[in-house]
Amino acid sequence: MAEPSVSKRASVFLVDDHPLVRESLTSLINQQSDLFACGEAEDAATSLREIARIEPDVAIIDLSLKSGSGMDLIRSVKARTPNVAMIVLSMHDEKIYAERAIRAGARGYVMKRESTKRIIAAIRHVLQGRLALSEQMAAGFAERFVGSRHPAGESPLEGLSDRELEVFTLLGRGLETRRIAETLNVSIKTVQAYCARIKQKRNLSTAAELLREAIRWNEQQGDN
Amino acid sequence: MTVSENILEFVERLGRWGAAYKPRDIAIFCLVLVLLIGIADYSAGKYVSLSIAYVLPIWIAAWYVGAPYAFFLSLLSVVIWIYGDAATGLTFPDFFVPMWNATIRLMFYVFLIALLQRLRTLQHTLASRVEERAAALTREIAERQRLERDLLDVSEREQRRIGQDLHDGLCQHLTGTAIAGHVLAEKLALEGHPETDDAGRIVDHIETAIGMARGMAKGLHPVERGSDGLMQALEEFAAATSEMFGISCLFECDSPVLVHDQAVATNLYRIAQEAVSNAIKHGRAKQIVVALENAESGLKLTIADSGTGLPEVLPSNHGMGMRIMANRASVIGADFLTRRSVYGGAEIACTMIAGSEVIGVAHG
Repeated sequence: MAEPSVSKRASVFLVDDHPLVRESLTSLINQQSDLFACGEAEDAATSLREIARIEPDVAIIDLSLKSGSGMDLIRSVKARTPNVAMIVLSMHDEKIYAERAIRAGARGYVMKRESTKRIIAAIRHVLQGRLALSEQMAAGFAERFVGSRHPAGESPLEGLSDRELEVFTLLGRGLETRRIAETLNVSIKTVQAYCARIKQKRNLSTAAELLREAIRWNEQQGDN
Repeated sequence: MTVSENILEFVERLGRWGAAYKPRDIAIFCLVLVLLIGIADYSAGKYVSLSIAYVLPIWIAAWYVGAPYAFFLSLLSVVIWIYGDAATGLTFPDFFVPMWNATIRLMFYVFLIALLQRLRTLQHTLASRVEERAAALTREIAERQRLERDLLDVSEREQRRIGQDLHDGLCQHLTGTAIAGHVLAEKLALEGHPETDDAGRIVDHIETAIGMARGMAKGLHPVERGSDGLMQALEEFAAATSEMFGISCLFECDSPVLVHDQAVATNLYRIAQEAVSNAIKHGRAKQIVVALENAESGLKLTIADSGTGLPEVLPSNHGMGMRIMANRASVIGADFLTRRSVYGGAEIACTMIAGSEVIGVAHG
């Protein structure tokens, strides 16, 4: 068990809509010599207020809350108190949500079905400034980084032809293939061929991944 | 063809002819016809009677103009006939004889008019009754389709509710319990109790239970909300099928296919699920391709396999699955067809007509 580099115990704030989960997690955290539970909340608004007030070292956040979305909460906390390291603890599959959560500002993702063993290790990981992901997810991330000719963060613009970029942009705006075909005045088959080529160039394996990437890029464009 | 059928057909043909003209025009036509027959009758001389020819205009008038007008024409034709005979110089021994003949003839015409009126009423009643029945049948069919839709919708909503309860309630509760168990195991370990391992095993069992409950929840509520939910669900389903049955089940989706209507997404998913299950169970397929695409005609889901294909006559239990798939397709306004796949087995194709996914399905 890794000893923390600081002498004081690290504070952990819990956001979960299920009381038994909060209660058990509190006991588990308080049982650790290097951690203590500093507060808890069941909805997004209270969590945001309390986290801003307490400024804990770590916040454990469930994606489905009593009111408000966990993903939005992560973005808000990241914007207001960037020093708070967040770990998502969710019933939902990491394959679908982990990447989105990390992009939103979380430092780790733990699925509830494996939470008992992993959550404490995950808290310690993020306290050391590292990402806390399952081996499978971490390997996937690394593969994407190495496999892609375009390192993460670099614009996907490069390598795409003008037409492919147009398709990619329209996908990111949430347009359907049919609408894209109408907008660009080409057939649906052509749009599908462009999508296949973009997937190949961007090293994406599924249409769902392509869509996520396009939406994410579009959001980044909006933020800039 | 019997005589009555012949008559009915003639009446029907006459009806079609008559419907094309206004009653006033027909009335004038009949009047002219009576006058022409009168002239012909007069020209034919006193020994030839054309009385039967008057039946035609009277018949037409009775059918299309009305009984009073037909009666008027009958009277007119009788008068013309008597005057015609008189004009040709035919003489009777007594005034009573032509009167008697005229009365008999008039009675015949009246009898004919009455018969035609009766026939006409019968025909009208029959036609309106057929129309009523057809309308009732249409209503009945619409009602049945609505019921089927409601039934699917209700069962889907119920499954979704149970799935969500399992996912958000039971699974969370079990998570809390597993963590509490872990707390206990750690405490036991700190105090050096030999039961530490037992506590650890209990935590493992609870975690297995979470996995089982989560699997059940997934089965009951497979398609997450959001327009890319169907893509995600089919992808996971194909991967899980390959793993579970040791076969190749691929999900092909070249460009993103978004489905905004939750009911449409769920029904398409269930169709894919049933088709894949049939391919494995009945077709013993080793290779299955589930494809989702935006075709020119609309959103298209195809499930093609390399199995034994569909039998000519479906066994009842297999046929039931097929009917339910077809029914689900009709509920969401999609075309459903089965054919031989390029892999040699069966192929099921479900094509949404563009734009139809927004109508007629209740959202749960």
